[in-house]
Amino acid sequence: MPKKKIGVVLGFIFALALTMMPMSHSVHADDSLAQIKAKGELVMGTSPDYPPYEFEATVHGKSQIVGMDVEIGKKIAKDMGVELVIKKMSFDTLLTGLQTGKVDMVISGMNPTPERRQNVSFSDIYYQGGFDILINKSDQWRYHDKNSFENKTVGAQTGSTQYVESKKQIKDVKIKGMTSASDLVLALQSHKVAGVAMEKPTAEAYAANNKSLVAIPTHFDLNASSTNSAVAFQKGSTTLVNQANKSIATIKKEQLVNKKYLPAAGKYMKTNTVNTSMWHYWKAFAIGIKYTLIITVCSVIFGFIIGVILALLRQLNGNPLKNVIRWLATAYVEFVRGTPMMVQVMFVYFGLGLVVNLPALVSGIIAISLNSGAYVAEYIRGGINSVDPGQTEAARSLGMSKGLTMRYVILPQALKNIWPSLGNEFITLIKDSSIVSIIGVTELIYQANIVRSDTYRGVAPIAVIMVIYFILTFTASRILNHFEKRMKHD
Amino acid sequence: MTKTIIEVKDLTKNYGDKEILKGISEQVNQGQVIVVIGPSGSGKSTFLRCLNLLETPTSGAVLFEGQQLIGLKEAQLDKLRKKMGMVFQSFNLFPNMNTLENVKLALTKVKKMSVTQAADIAKQQLQKVGMLDYATQFPSSLSGGQKQRVAIARALAMQPEVMLFDEPTSALDPEMVGEVLNVMKALANKGMTMVVVTHEMEFAKSVADQIWFMADGYIQETGTPEAFFTHPQTKRAQDFISKLTH
Repeated sequence: MPKKKIGVVLGFIFALALTMMPMSHSVHADDSLAQIKAKGELVMGTSPDYPPYEFEATVHGKSQIVGMDVEIGKKIAKDMGVELVIKKMSFDTLLTGLQTGKVDMVISGMNPTPERRQNVSFSDIYYQGGFDILINKSDQWRYHDKNSFENKTVGAQTGSTQYVESKKQIKDVKIKGMTSASDLVLALQSHKVAGVAMEKPTAEAYAANNKSLVAIPTHFDLNASSTNSAVAFQKGSTTLVNQANKSIATIKKEQLVNKKYLPAAGKYMKTNTVNTSMWHYWKAFAIGIKYTLIITVCSVIFGFIIGVILALLRQLNGNPLKNVIRWLATAYVEFVRGTPMMVQVMFVYFGLGLVVNLPALVSGIIAISLNSGAYVAEYIRGGINSVDPGQTEAARSLGMSKGLTMRYVILPQALKNIWPSLGNEFITLIKDSSIVSIIGVTELIYQANIVRSDTYRGVAPIAVIMVIYFILTFTASRILNHFEKRMKHD
Repeated sequence: MTKTIIEVKDLTKNYGDKEILKGISEQVNQGQVIVVIGPSGSGKSTFLRCLNLLETPTSGAVLFEGQQLIGLKEAQLDKLRKKMGMVFQSFNLFPNMNTLENVKLALTKVKKMSVTQAADIAKQQLQKVGMLDYATQFPSSLSGGQKQRVAIARALAMQPEVMLFDEPTSALDPEMVGEVLNVMKALANKGMTMVVVTHEMEFAKSVADQIWFMADGYIQETGTPEAFFTHPQTKRAQDFISKLTH
């Protein structure tokens, strides 16, 4: 199943990752299977937002990744005699995760295109799907297949094969691209698009769970490779691929996908629609709040420390060494402020991941701290410059060194002057922490998306986290105001 | 024989192309009260700030107790600076600390005194300038004259060899000038070596041992207050004094 192509941003990370990667793996004899067996676990990367392939469901009160692909992964792991570990990531980042060793294999309804084959090895096909167009039931009389959508707007996941094929095969169509399937369905229900091109099983699943929707065939002209799904492994891991192919052969022979896996996935989807009240998902939101707060608080503390250090380095002056350090600190600040935080998060997770394997949460905290540090450094520098030069003169005339003067006279005053800006930065961080959802940290946005794909309710979870974010930021700003008033005594 | 505290030789200071000090050679002996006067913009403050190297001179020598200051490492300079107290026109009290903490800070951080010892010394100094009752007040609640007295106490607490005053009363309301000058007079009477840049001519006449008259980047004339104010030698000084009396 083709979902999305890798975006421009990811291409950049990819290029970097490839240049950094040791080029030796094709030289050595392949021991990938032996390594997995020695490790005792097989890590599967997947993007659980695409029922019935993979999605999150609440099982016995706990959120769990389920779906057809999960069953495939379990079967492969079981046949190897190892434990299956599932790691969730956004679809865009899956292959990067595979190449950088975050996961051992990717099963996410991935379509083995020739482009992808250049970077990873694929197993045999385990499932052949097709494309449907999801429409509103009320429009059933109007639309029958791709030819009905001339001059209409069709939605598709950005960069997916459906997107490409719809553009190619529907005459004079307008394509509206969005990243998540649930957003597309929402757009359909609110009549922003006439139909949504998606995978056949996915479309059928949505139709089965929502009586106002119906799936119609596309009648696209497709070659087999764009509707097939296969398991991706690191390039050259032949033994692993061969072992997986054995499992897939059994799955095909016994028709496990249609007979067991898809019906099992369907059951989870049915239970999801029973209780879709937001209260039912309070645990999911609570986890989101917890991680949002962990990320924010850690990033504020580390960001502040980094900011102070950078600001002090930028004050260095005198000999050539100090000038170089000052220049580097300035360059760092400019660079970080001049690149998107999203790219930085991905770079830390995947780029730094080549050297040390950091968990997503730690990577997120590092990236946001490094980012915030650059901004804090600028605030502090402004604060330092805002202190009357007479203060420095008075302190120096008392025999205080530059360092003592900075520590006891300038910095305390600078920090007081910039307290409101620092408070703003803290509040901004609460909101910006949402960016780490792309590397699969279960903070609020991520959890909201899980609830959305779980319940097929597009708006309610967003409204819930909107209120939660506001409560968090409002509480934070009240607390900060309180301290600001207390600092005003002099 | 009297000990020389500060000696400057051929001191010059440029800001870019602008020459502020054009070559000054003088010395200050122990116990002397030097009052530097002259028209605005003549370089008096710059000269004073060159004495403890808050401004780095462009050329020449500044000797403190025989030790050349120019070219010293920062750490050595810090050691010598604490022996030269300085009082500024704009007080420069630390606004984030109360009166007592202002005086204590350098005692604990530079002289590494214990907190109690530093507090004792700070209180003594505040007592001397009549500010002990305000020990827990913050600078923002003090009048200009009070702030300047605290600033003087802060400098004196370091037990300097010389006190440099940079127009200490220029930023004060007229009714507060007296209280600050009285503190300075008392200090002079106790034998403190002082270099004072000021426009207070009465103070110059009554307290100075020597007047240094500065104009156009040079010290034009030196002498006792009596000699200077009654028989100025240079044309520049005569003009200056005649303007004062009119």
